[in-house]
This record gives sequence, C-alpha cells and structure tokens, in this order.
Amino acid sequence: MLAELAVFAVGLTASVATMPLVMKKMTEKGIGGPDVHKKDRPFVPEMGGLAVLAGTTVSVVAMVLLLPEVLSVAASFLGSTLIAGLIGALDDFKSLNAKVKPVLTLLAGLPLLVLHTYNPMGLVFPFIGQTRMTIIYPFLIPVILAVTSNAVNMMDPFNGTMSGACTIITIIMLLSALLLGRSEALILCLCLLGPLLAFFYFNKFPSKVFSGDVGSLSIGAALGAIAIIGRLEVVAVVALMPQIMNAFYGLSSMGRLYERREVSRPVAILEDGRITATKDPKAPITLARMVLARGPLREDEAARIFFILAAISGVLAFATACLIMVTT
Amino acid sequence: MIRRILDFVLILLFVWVCMILGLWVIDRIIVPMQLPRVADGLLTGMVKISVSAGLVLFWLWLWREIVKKMFWRAMDKQ
Repeated sequence: MLAELAVFAVGLTASVATMPLVMKKMTEKGIGGPDVHKKDRPFVPEMGGLAVLAGTTVSVVAMVLLLPEVLSVAASFLGSTLIAGLIGALDDFKSLNAKVKPVLTLLAGLPLLVLHTYNPMGLVFPFIGQTRMTIIYPFLIPVILAVTSNAVNMMDPFNGTMSGACTIITIIMLLSALLLGRSEALILCLCLLGPLLAFFYFNKFPSKVFSGDVGSLSIGAALGAIAIIGRLEVVAVVALMPQIMNAFYGLSSMGRLYERREVSRPVAILEDGRITATKDPKAPITLARMVLARGPLREDEAARIFFILAAISGVLAFATACLIMVTT
Repeated sequence: MIRRILDFVLILLFVWVCMILGLWVIDRIIVPMQLPRVADGLLTGMVKISVSAGLVLFWLWLWREIVKKMFWRAMDKQ
C-alpha cells in the first residue's frame, strides 16, 4: 500500500513542479491561443499535457523501482501513452489531417501487443463473462487505443472539462480495479491520477494552461491502456460514455471525420459573456451544443454539467463492475 | 439546470440499460439459438453474428434518432 501511495505522490509532485515551467516556456515561445469562450479572449499557453506526460513518466519509473515485477506492464503503459503524446505534439505543431490522426493513434497499441500485456482470451462482459476472442482481440487493441485517445481529444470544449472528466474516470476505474482485484490496473490508475489532479488544478475554470493534443491524446491512450492491461474494457467504455457520445453525435451529424477548424462552430459567445448553441444546421451536434440547446450558460456552469455527466456515467461504470463481479 | 441534466441522465440510462439488456439477450437467446434443419456450424455462427450485429446497429440508430429529436426540440423551444 505504501508503494502505491508513493507512486501517486511522486506523479502529483512531478506534474505540479513541471507545470509552471511548461507554462513559462510555452508563453515565451508564443505556443498557445486565445480562450475563445471569454469576452476578452485572453492568451492561454498550450501543451500543458507535457507536464502530465512528465508526471506520468516519473510515477511509472517510481513504480518500477518499488515493484520490479511489473516492468513489462509499466513499459507497455508508458510506451502507449508516450506514442499518443508524440502524435499529439506533432498535431500541436503541424495540424494533422482529420483522417491521418486517428490512423496514427492506432500505433499507440503497439507496445501492448509487442510486450503481450493484454488478456489473450479477450473481453470480459457482464453476464457473458470471459469471452474467447483469441484471434480478433489483438486486432481490436489498436482500435481501442485510437477510440479512447480520439474520444478524449474531441471533448475539451470548456475550461477544465477534459481534465476534470478524465480525473473522475480514473477514480472510477481505480475503484473498479479495487473491487475486481485487478492490482495492475489499480497501480496504473494511481500513476495517472496524480498528474491528472495536478493538471486539473491549472486547467480548471479560468484556465491558466490548455492541454493541447499532446495532453488529450496521451491521457485518452493511458486510459485505454489501463482498460486493456487491467481487463476493464467494458467498465472503461461505460465510464467514457460522455466522450463516446460526444464523438458519436459529432460524427453521425457530420457523416464523416472532421477537424474543429474545418466545420462551423457549434457554440457561440453572447454579448453578456454566456455561451449559446448555434442554430447552424451545418455545425456538428456535439455534447457541448446539446448541453446549451436549452439556453445559454456561463462557461463554469457548462463545465459543471460535464462533470455531473462524468460522475453519473462513473456510477454506471461502477455498477457494470459490480455486475461483472456478481454475474461472472 | 436540473431539466438540462435530466435529459442526459435519461440518455445515459437508456444507452447503458440497452447495452446490458443487449448483452443478456446475446448471451441467453442468440448464442444458444439452434436453426431448424441447419446442421452447418459455420452457417449457424454467421447467422448469430449477423443477428447480434443487427441488434447493435439498431441500438446505435435508435440512440442517434433520440438525440437528434431531443436536440432540435430543445433548440426550437429556445
């Protein structure tokens, strides 16, 4: 238990320590952008996700030093997270095409496949129990990583929504791992939770730093890797339901993969600073637009609704973990 | 605010209950299903996969239609 707490504390401290440095460097280099949901559009540095990656790397190294038996698990988790982070950094510097990015994120699944840190039998479902997907499952792993990383990347509309929602998801996966006795998932959740909490502190409304794709893609990939290594895939799908809903609504309303820059904005800012859903039929139906469909809201109010949704899907995810325990 | 959250809670519950119910239907009804006068295991397996995939696609279609209707109705009211 002491090792687990140490891993959490090391990740948290490393991210808290590196975040101001990242913010300073990005501001100096002009890497950032206007906070478009504020009336005065203040400049906010981007790529705060680098501090999350730094914290996660340090906590994984601490985990290997304290628990050497989890070396391959640690290497595959960190490998997947860093590959997704690298793709995110590439996208931050040189905007990638809407079709290229999801394809590249498939590569994040490679460390799990190479180090064989997945359940070779396949998915575990409530009622059905352990399935036998020995041939299909290895092909599904890169897809799972691409889905989780891109779904998290697509849902960062307001200050702190991505970091806050992912913190809630990580806590739920940690509790589910505890319930189902998945010790590897438990410690990996702690590796991610520290850096995520640190990032949320700086990213919450009003944001002092944005994650950039380097942060959102790597956090999504880290969650996907935890789900695969810890055999918590179905729990993760339910916990990630708001992100999946957002991606599904956006893609099904547009009928294709799209980049935010290419399509009409789904939300707009009013004179009084509140945010409203646009009536443009060509804009994608995102979760943010749906939240605002009943009327305009302040940004912090809209962000709070996202946290409530993450908490509700978290409760359903934990119920799914209970069902897995009871019915299988 | 509560009404706004309730909309999503209902969607989340619908999606989750359908998923759990769908898994139960696949496990208890579709998997044990035996086709009358068909002895070929491969054919029976393909029919089972097709029925399960159809069920999933119907679930996704229903989900999309509910959301679309809910969104445009809320926009019209606004």
